[in-house]
Amino acid sequence: MSDARHHVIIGSGVAGNQAAETLRARDPDSRITMVTVSRLPFFNRYDLPRVFRGERDWRRFVIYPAEYYRRNRIALRRATKVVAVDSINQTLTLQHKETIHFDTLLVASGARSYLPEELSEYRPLLLGFGAFHEAVQVAETLPKRGHVIMLGGDTIGLDLARTLIELRHRVTLLADDYTFWPHEVSEADRPRYIAALRNMGFEVIEAKERGSLAAVSQGAPGLPARRLVFKDGSELHGDVVMPFFGNVPILDFMIGSGVDIERGLLVRPDLRTTHENIYAAGDNCQIWTDSVRRYCFYHGWKNVRAMGELAARNITGANEAWTPQHDESLRLTADGKILSPFWEYQ
Amino acid sequence: MNTDVQIAIVGSAGDGTIAAGDILRRAMAEIGYRVISFDLYPAEIRGFGKCIARLRVSDEQAYSLKQKSDILVSLDDSHAIPHVGEAREWGAVIYETNSVNPLPEGAHLSAHIDPGQVPYNVPIRELAEKSTGAARSRNIVVVGYIIGLMRLPLEPALRALTGKFKGKGEIAQKNEAALRAGYEEGLRWFRLDDIEFGPPPAQERGAHLEMINGNAAIVRGALDAGIDTFFGYPITPATSIMERLASEMPKRGARLVQTEDEIAAISATLGAGFAGARAATATSGPGLSLMAEMLGFGVIAEVPSVVFVSQRGGPSTGMPTKHEQSDLNMAVFGGHGDAPRIVIAPTNVEGCYRCAGRAFEMAEAYQTPVIVLLDLYLSNRYETVPFPDRPPFEADTNRYADTRGGAAGFQRYVLTADGVSPRSTPGQPGGMHVATGLEHNELGRPNDQPDMHLAQSRKRHEKLKAALRHPGFEPAKRFGDTGAVDVGLVAWGSSFGECLEAMYLAQEEGIRCAALKVLMISPFPVEMATSFLADCKEVLVPEVNYQGQFAGILQMQVPRAVTRMTRIPCAPMRVEEILDEIRRLAGRVVEPQAA
Ligand SMILES: Cc1cc2nc3c(=O)[nH]c(=O)nc-3n(C[C@H](O)[C@H](O)[C@H](O)COP(=O)(O)OP(=O)(O)OC[C@H]3O[C@@H](n4cnc5c(N)ncnc54)[C@H](O)[C@@H]3O)c2cc1C
Repeated sequence: MSDARHHVIIGSGVAGNQAAETLRARDPDSRITMVTVSRLPFFNRYDLPRVFRGERDWRRFVIYPAEYYRRNRIALRRATKVVAVDSINQTLTLQHKETIHFDTLLVASGARSYLPEELSEYRPLLLGFGAFHEAVQVAETLPKRGHVIMLGGDTIGLDLARTLIELRHRVTLLADDYTFWPHEVSEADRPRYIAALRNMGFEVIEAKERGSLAAVSQGAPGLPARRLVFKDGSELHGDVVMPFFGNVPILDFMIGSGVDIERGLLVRPDLRTTHENIYAAGDNCQIWTDSVRRYCFYHGWKNVRAMGELAARNITGANEAWTPQHDESLRLTADGKILSPFWEYQ
Repeated sequence: MNTDVQIAIVGSAGDGTIAAGDILRRAMAEIGYRVISFDLYPAEIRGFGKCIARLRVSDEQAYSLKQKSDILVSLDDSHAIPHVGEAREWGAVIYETNSVNPLPEGAHLSAHIDPGQVPYNVPIRELAEKSTGAARSRNIVVVGYIIGLMRLPLEPALRALTGKFKGKGEIAQKNEAALRAGYEEGLRWFRLDDIEFGPPPAQERGAHLEMINGNAAIVRGALDAGIDTFFGYPITPATSIMERLASEMPKRGARLVQTEDEIAAISATLGAGFAGARAATATSGPGLSLMAEMLGFGVIAEVPSVVFVSQRGGPSTGMPTKHEQSDLNMAVFGGHGDAPRIVIAPTNVEGCYRCAGRAFEMAEAYQTPVIVLLDLYLSNRYETVPFPDRPPFEADTNRYADTRGGAAGFQRYVLTADGVSPRSTPGQPGGMHVATGLEHNELGRPNDQPDMHLAQSRKRHEKLKAALRHPGFEPAKRFGDTGAVDVGLVAWGSSFGECLEAMYLAQEEGIRCAALKVLMISPFPVEMATSFLADCKEVLVPEVNYQGQFAGILQMQVPRAVTRMTRIPCAPMRVEEILDEIRRLAGRVVEPQAA
């Protein structure tokens, strides 16, 4: 192995890739290794609804060709899970028991969708939407003009629903506290936003009106594939049931690393963790925000990308502080639709 | 082709790499695909050397393996890591996701996968342990996984497995469980590669497909031609010819004797041939050297006999487990005196079958030893062969003399227009004669007069020419573009497959290109070669020996400049290298090869 500094990045999402690009530009002689559970090279997850428009070839989603990684000498370790980080010896251990030494580490492991405890027993009957293969599975399962039942909502689910409705699918939303996650909508404003969703073509059921969900089961022969039973005894039938309850950071491998964690990895405004050579960026970190005097999550791909870039700059000698990229509030348009700043893809 | 998928499995001796490849190729053949497959294993019988099973599955019979594999499987990362680059862009790399022991950085295969390749990290060991209680069936899990992943039917693999472990009750059951576990796992995985298995081709009428290697095809050809006797002495890579015949011949009332050495083997073969039996022996280069003297006897005494020779690396003991085509001169010229014989060299496994059968016909028809020249690659490589439902060989091509009422003095070596003298066999009334190694007259009596020596020499040479028109046998065949071409390849033996592949690739690049397959090397198909060479601006002769032995023979027969491409990589020649040479000769720029 050469004497060049070894920058290791955990995660190949927006944050990780932006960081790699910046690291290569600012530290041309370094070694860069990006370790990721994903088997696919990087793609923008907001593109996933395209699978419903018939695009099933993952190669058309990928942002950088293989040649990009070769040319930039970014060792891309796909299908590789980090299970532990040792901040003292500056090593990380991979699931297959390989140890990698790092000089600097950027943790950009993102977040996974959250499933409330009470729904976990129904997991086999629910379809996720975080990964490419999950998106394809939904698209292949859903019949033409099929009926999708969304539990919760959140801005990822609502965005997907916009595409589904446009494609003439029926979308029933079981609205609850997560419906507008991560936006905060007051109780007073909520009816206007729910009305906007109906205006956009959603069928909305406020979960609490039916006494919340009692069970999910397989539909009877001849009926749609899924049957939902509510505590008030009423039923709802759909072809696909998808949960959207926001995200939780993926940090299991950081437990015991000696780096401080609350819900996310706690980082200073320069994105450094409590270890001087370990940084974090993306959906998995909480950044100290002086104005509110607490560690905050910042959402959306624009923020995440900026975090990746900032972390890489600071790893390579800059000393800059985080500033959010956009106002995170949910808006209502003149024609009575909701619009999230996270839905701006350019 | 709709289907053209190459699978390479890399492991260590003891991992069951070759067995996995064998089950896969049998399964693929049963599904109806065409397969060509060649395994690489260490020379050492024990130890942890590298083993590679490679199989190419297609809907038309391919004649060589591809440079790049579509699926690469690691059963042992230390051996597989140097081969990861063999998987093509968007091809699949299948490997063990869990390691038993801690690994330093870079020791796991995943560290070496290119961003363009698709990783399939499979808990192979865990699946084997869960399904069978032990890790030994990892190789079978992999077979099941590939079949599941590619959404192919499982039953053919189950049958191949049953065949392999017949009579081994518990082992067979465990392996079936492992196969199913791998299959289920494969079905679960989301495919990211772009590998496609199209529908298998329709079966040819009047033939049935079988998965068989070169030596086995030789055996099949010999049996279908009605071989009566075989004498042999074991030697790699020819041994399995004798082994297979040993189990088959007695069932048909035929005889096989393992002799004390090769000299005895050829002597006995000639004795049997003299007696009218269809007789053969099999050997490799070192054995052929020992047989040289008696082959000369076969030539002068005009005794029908067949010698199967599978070449390996030489000279002397050389490299018994490595591929080479360096016994050509020995086969064509080996021995003293003017001793012409027929030498035919099949280029693929189907050719082994046909050449074996035709060799017996030719030996009888032209009363001469016939050498069928194979090599290690061809002997050991598997292909799907469409065997005709009825053997296409003549049971008896002898020209017997009518000796009834004949007076004393049967003219065994009578000079005839075509050089072939009607023969008799021992015990035939009126057919008694002396077969001798001495130059003789028409009666077979010793004679060293110049006129008789000239007449008999001419007879022995001229009679062989008819072999170039032997029914059912094409001594040479042209492929590729017709008319004038920029580059013409002339090739023989197993190298022809790589040449053909390179030629097709060159054609795809717009190079006008053709290839001449030369099956009969002695006597040489001069007319065909001359007209082919006349069409070629440049001539390339690739072969796996140092001297360019075939190019030498070609130039002796058809004087003209050719480019000799000789390589001795101890393995088949690389298609890519031949292609580069074609490009160079065609005036195309060739990027320098990475070291
Ligand atoms: C379906 C969908 C639609 C979305 N739409 C929008 C949108 O419209 N607008 C918007 O702003 N945002 C959207 N988002 C959110 C946005 O995609 C995320 O904010 C962003 O992807 C987060 O980037 P990241 O780099 O932090 O993490 P991720 O993109 O989640 O990447 C995390 C990486 O870490 C890897 N990883 C995790 N654990 C390990 C481990 N133990 N070992 C090794 N690697 C590990 C993962 O494999 C992955 O490569 C959407 C998300 C989803 C799922």
